[in-house]
Amino acid sequence: MKSVMPDMQPMNQTVQETPVFEVLSEDQIEQIYFSALEVLERVGSRVHHDDALELFRNSGDAVVGDDKRVRVTTSLVERALKNYPRKITLKGRNGIRSVALQKDHVYFGTGSDLPFTYDRKTGERRRTTYKDIVDAGRIVDYLPNFDFFMSHGIVGDAPNPLTYDRHQFMAMLEGCTKPYVVTSVDGEGLEDLWKMACLFQGGEDEFRLNPMFVAYIEPISPLTNDRTAVEKLLFAAEKGIPAMYTPCPSSGATAPATIAGMLVQSLAETLLAIALCHLKRPGMPLIMGGVTTVMDMRTTTYSYGAPEMALASAANTDISKWLNLIMFSTGGCSDAKVLDEQAAIESTISNLTAFLSGANLVHDVGYIDSGVNASLESLVMNDEIIAMVRQVGKGIKTDEAHLALKVIDEVGPGGEFVTHDHTYEHWKEWFMPKLMDRSDWETWNAEGAKTMLDRVNEETQRILDTHEPAPIDDTIKKELKKIIDDADKRHSK
Amino acid sequence: MAVDLGQMAELLIAGKVDEVEKMTGQAIEEGMDPSDILQKGLIAGMDVVGQRFKACDMFIPEVLRSAKAMGAGMKQLRPMLVASGAKMAGTMVIGTVKGDLHDIGKNLVGMMFEGAGFQVVNLGIDLESQVFVDAVKEHKPELLGMSALLTTTMPKMGEVINALKEAGIRDQVKVMVGGAPVTEEFAKEIGADIYGANAASSVDKAKAVLNA
Repeated sequence: MKSVMPDMQPMNQTVQETPVFEVLSEDQIEQIYFSALEVLERVGSRVHHDDALELFRNSGDAVVGDDKRVRVTTSLVERALKNYPRKITLKGRNGIRSVALQKDHVYFGTGSDLPFTYDRKTGERRRTTYKDIVDAGRIVDYLPNFDFFMSHGIVGDAPNPLTYDRHQFMAMLEGCTKPYVVTSVDGEGLEDLWKMACLFQGGEDEFRLNPMFVAYIEPISPLTNDRTAVEKLLFAAEKGIPAMYTPCPSSGATAPATIAGMLVQSLAETLLAIALCHLKRPGMPLIMGGVTTVMDMRTTTYSYGAPEMALASAANTDISKWLNLIMFSTGGCSDAKVLDEQAAIESTISNLTAFLSGANLVHDVGYIDSGVNASLESLVMNDEIIAMVRQVGKGIKTDEAHLALKVIDEVGPGGEFVTHDHTYEHWKEWFMPKLMDRSDWETWNAEGAKTMLDRVNEETQRILDTHEPAPIDDTIKKELKKIIDDADKRHSK
Repeated sequence: MAVDLGQMAELLIAGKVDEVEKMTGQAIEEGMDPSDILQKGLIAGMDVVGQRFKACDMFIPEVLRSAKAMGAGMKQLRPMLVASGAKMAGTMVIGTVKGDLHDIGKNLVGMMFEGAGFQVVNLGIDLESQVFVDAVKEHKPELLGMSALLTTTMPKMGEVINALKEAGIRDQVKVMVGGAPVTEEFAKEIGADIYGANAASSVDKAKAVLNA
């Protein structure tokens, strides 16, 4: 006779279903935070923007030096920190509010502005074109594990470098319907991109509730804020456009050679923007960032594959959560010159670490050649890596159905589970490989003995041959063209 | 109302074991031609299952459900098909050799063959060579399948083949071997007819050899 199974519902237990991953303790975070405040009070940060300097001067909470160095009180920073939104939800031109930036929600996307592209036909490295960006967009639009799109490449064939950003955004709109992170030449460029996006979202107010993109803005490490960066930041604050201010220090060159020192400095750089945006307009949707890595001491390369990058990025995410800020992080990128084993190894480590840390926007997926060369194949390979990483993140369910005591009892010693209803009901919870090969030796040989790279290439070509994103409405297209043409005219004089 | 064989095929694809079994019974009661029930109902469904499996649209747990439905239908049809002299996939005897307690892989292969319309006699595990010889004599199968999952028990498969030769019945049956450490070369070395690399491809290979 079958035994009766015990009641499996626990009481008063904390059931942890997903992995817990932290690289800093709360005490360490506080040490870093207080150190960053000390940097802002004692060292300050240089701001090359007159309006911004005026805002600081009038605040009563900052001292502006003759060398444009701004020192800020802790009081201002802490008041500012209380006012930033903890949730920003992005809505793509596909009409879906698909990217809900909030604690521990992780989204993956490309990086931007790579000057070169790996040419699939010739195997050469060449200048990136408009079409390359449309193609990257189509691939991101198709791949299920990509949630947002940055341009991947920089439009090298735009008519004027001062307006390239409008053309680049147009290519992004054409190729991809998911939300974006955009780069712009200056404040005026960001304004045009924002106007273009408002056409889709139904105007300025709707954009505030349903932002289509986050503006990418970066200071210059160490502790320097150039005019265009501040211009963009102030415009974003004024209009309520989500923006990130993301320091890109290289440890040992533009930041201390210790990870903790780099974290202190980059947090000080972020906190300055936090204070400035608060003075401009409290509560603007500002996102914390940081591409924190090391300079390679043999080559001076800013490394995109260093384990220190993954570690420091995870630390930044720990800090961001403690500060209640949304985090823009980095993963899926590599120093390898072509898509090879090195690219796979480096991409995997940074993707996994970023995911487990709970970073919100993980960008630069698909970068090769240390942020110089764009590879469509790398996007396709990373899609599989991210799918595996997400599976690890799902953790382990331990409810009654998943503990499966009843099933173990029914099958018993020497039985089999493969035909059991329980298997039929639960096996689909597993990761289902698309590119990873698990066939036997004979089948693998019979199917052409293809390597991972062969399969990645085939899948890339298949997507390019078959996937077309939803077209842009003709009326909107005309208005987009007008914004771009006007910009080109203004800058041709 | 006449039984809809197309619907039977659909139910089989969906892995509805009880419904396929019931429908086969109804079709027989209505006096439908057993060959028609087999070809237009069960095999038509399994053909689609096979295609979808190869295209990665169906997976092992689903295929095995369909195979189970096929087996349930065949159980009722077989006596009638035998009586009418209709062409059938045949009989397979399968087992794991002496010293090896591995059961599931071999059972999976058996289920796949049931799905292909074979009558499968599963002898079990840890079997003496003589058990295989006796089973071939008794069931007169077209196919004998043997499995070993250990490098230490692999040679036992060769011993079974030798025992079949000694009993003078080696020519009466095609021998198929498989299991993780087994290779095509090893299969040839011990004089097996078919090497089954995995459960699904074994069926195709066996069919090709039996139909040759």
